[in-house]
Amino acid sequence: MRLKRPASITLRLTLLFSLASTVVLLLLGYLVGGAVEQHFVEQDMAVLTGKLDLTRHALEKVRSENDLISIPQQLDDSLVGHQGLALVVVAPDGQKLFATSGAEFPQMLLDKPVLADSLRPVFWKTASNVPFRGLAALATTGIRDTPPAIIAVATDISHHEHFMSSFRITLWSFVTLAALMTGFLGWVAVRRGLYPLQAIRLKAEGITAQKLDDRLDVDSVPVELVDLAETLNAMLSRLEDSFRRLSDFSSDLAHELRTPVSNLLTQTQVTLSRPRTPEDYRDVLVSNVEEFERLSRMISDMLFIAKADEGRIVPSRENIDLERIAEDLIDFYRLIADEKSVTLSRSGAAQVIGDPLMLRRAISNLISNAIRHTPSGEGIRIAIEPADTGRIRIVVTNGGETIPPAHLPRLFDRFYRVDPSRHWQGTHSGLGLAIVKSIVEAHGGEVSLVSAAEKTSFIMEIPRGD
Amino acid sequence: MKILVVEDEPKTGSYLKQGLVEAGFVVDLASNGVDGLHLASTESYALAILDVMLPGIDGWQVLQGMRKAGKEMPVLFLTARDQVEDRVKGLELGADDYLVKPFAFSELLARVRTLLRRGGKAKDAEYLRVADLELDLLRRRVTRAGKRIDLTAKEFVLLELLLRRQGEVLPRSLIASQVWDMNFDSDTNVIEVAVRRLRAKVDDDFEPRLIRTVRGMGYVLDDVAKDAACD
Repeated sequence: MRLKRPASITLRLTLLFSLASTVVLLLLGYLVGGAVEQHFVEQDMAVLTGKLDLTRHALEKVRSENDLISIPQQLDDSLVGHQGLALVVVAPDGQKLFATSGAEFPQMLLDKPVLADSLRPVFWKTASNVPFRGLAALATTGIRDTPPAIIAVATDISHHEHFMSSFRITLWSFVTLAALMTGFLGWVAVRRGLYPLQAIRLKAEGITAQKLDDRLDVDSVPVELVDLAETLNAMLSRLEDSFRRLSDFSSDLAHELRTPVSNLLTQTQVTLSRPRTPEDYRDVLVSNVEEFERLSRMISDMLFIAKADEGRIVPSRENIDLERIAEDLIDFYRLIADEKSVTLSRSGAAQVIGDPLMLRRAISNLISNAIRHTPSGEGIRIAIEPADTGRIRIVVTNGGETIPPAHLPRLFDRFYRVDPSRHWQGTHSGLGLAIVKSIVEAHGGEVSLVSAAEKTSFIMEIPRGD
Repeated sequence: MKILVVEDEPKTGSYLKQGLVEAGFVVDLASNGVDGLHLASTESYALAILDVMLPGIDGWQVLQGMRKAGKEMPVLFLTARDQVEDRVKGLELGADDYLVKPFAFSELLARVRTLLRRGGKAKDAEYLRVADLELDLLRRRVTRAGKRIDLTAKEFVLLELLLRRQGEVLPRSLIASQVWDMNFDSDTNVIEVAVRRLRAKVDDDFEPRLIRTVRGMGYVLDDVAKDAACD
C-alpha cells in the first residue's frame, strides 16, 4: 500500500486559518442579523402597544351601548397617518365594532387574546402575501357586567422584511468576501512565515558531493528551526565523513593496485620482448601467480571490509572457547614463529558468544601481524583476560621497536603502514588490522593499541555476548 | 570423465576447459544458459560447473531445469558475489559446492575431484601406501623403507591428506583449511614451512622424493618413479 503524502503545510495552515475566520464571521453575521431584526420587532411593538393602549383607553371610557357607536369614528381619527396599520375591535357579543379596511387577522389570534401585560407579537401573512405583525388583547369597557372586548392591532412589516432580506444579502456577501480575504491573507502570511524553510531548502540544494563542507547557518534560522538545522548539519557531517572515507578508500585502493598491476605488466612485457627458455617463462608465470593471489586476497579483504562498513557483516552467535582458538592458532603459527626464533605463549581463558570463524580470523591476523614485526629471539604473548568494563580483552603483545605515537591512531586503518617503504611486501594485503577492527566492531567491541618500552600490544575488547 | 562447463566469459571459459582437459577430463563448454541447459539435459555428465550470472537463463535456472530433467550429477557454482544469500539459495536448490571468483585453478580442481569422489565409496583403509611410504591410520604411525618416522599430529594429518589425494596438486589454502581449519585467507607461508618440515622427515633421507612443490599451484605427493615406469 502506498502511503499518502500529508498535505502541504501551507495548504493546511491556510485551510485551518480560513476555517477559523469563517466560523467567526458566520457567527458575527448571525448575531448582527438577529440584533437588527430584534430592533425592528421592538420598534413594531412600540407602535402596536401604543395603538392598543389608545384603543383600550377609548373603550374604557364607554359607559353605555350608545357610547359604542362613536367608537369607530374615534378610532378612524386616531389611525390617520398610520399607513399599514390594521385594527379590529370585537365587541363582547362577538360583533365586529370596528375593522380597518383589509384587516385580515388570523382567527387564532382573536380566539385567544391575552391580558395586556403579557403581550407577545404574532407574525403572519395575509392571503395577498403581505407580512403582518400583530397583537390581540382583552379590553374591559365601561359598561358594567359585560365581558371584555377583544382588540387586535397589526402592522404591515413588508418594508422591514425587504430591508432585512437585502441587509442579509449584503451581510452574507461581506462575510463571504471577508472569509476569502482572510484565506488569501492567511496563505500569504503562511508563505512568509515558512520562508525560513525555503531558505534551508535552497541552501540544501546547493550542497553537493564537492561541497559537503557547507553547513546551514544555525544562528540565522528562527528558534523553532534550530533543532532541525542542527540535525541536518549533523547529518551532513556524518555524510561528509563517510564520503571522505569512501573517497580515501578509493584512492588508497587505486594506489595499492597500481604497484602490483604495473609490476605484472612490466614483467610480462619484458618477458615477451624476446624469446626465452621455458624455464624463464615458468618463472614469470609463477611470479605472476603470486601477485595475482595477493591481488585476489586483497579484493576479498576489501569486500569484507566494505560489507562490514555497510553493516552487512552479521556475526553468528555461538559459544566460543577463546583458549582453544588461541591454542589452535598458536599451533598453526608456531611453525613459522620457530623459523624466526620467536616464541608464542598464551595466558588466560574465557568463553564468549560470537562468530567463531570471524574471531579466529581476527586473532589470527593479530598473531600474523605480530610475527611479522617481532625480531628474532623475542616473544609474542596472547593474553585472554577480563576487562574492567565487564568485557573480555584479547591482548597480543610482541617485543620489538616501539611504534611512534603518531602512528598509533591510524594503524587499524586500511593500507596504513608505519614504514611506507615496506610497501607491498610478503603475502599480506595491508588489510589485516582493518579486518580485525571490522570484526571486533561487528561484535560490538573495540580495538586499541599500546606501544611503549619496546613492547606493542594490540587489544581486542569484545562483549561476552551473554 | 565428462564435465560440463557453463561460463559466459569467453576467456574464463576457455581456460577452465583447457585446465580441466589437461587434468584428464573431457569437457563440454557452453557460453550461455540455454545451451548449457540443453547439453545438461540431453548429454550425460559426471559433473557440471555453472556460472551464476549467465545471459538468457541464469545458473540457478539451469540447475533447476536439469534437475527437472532428472539429471542428478553434482553441481559446482562459480560466482563473483560472495553473498551469504546466494550461497544459501544455491545450496537450497541443490548445488553441491560453491566457489567465489577470483579463485585459484588448483582450488577448483581440488573441489572438482572431491565432488567426483563423493559419489564413489571411500574406503576405510587401515593403511595408506605410496612407494615405500606407509601410513598406519589406526596407530598413527609412519614408516618409510621400514624405518619409523616421528611426525607431529598435524604433520601426520598433512601427510595423510597428501597421500589420500596423491597425484593431485593441493593448493595452500586447501591445506590450511583441511589441516588447520583455517577457513579464511591466512598466512600461507606457514604451509610452506609445514610442508618443508614434513618433507625433511619423509623425503630427505630417502629416494625417490615423493612430495613436490608445483610452483604457483601448491603441493603434490606422487610416486614419480612409478609414473615414469608406467609411461
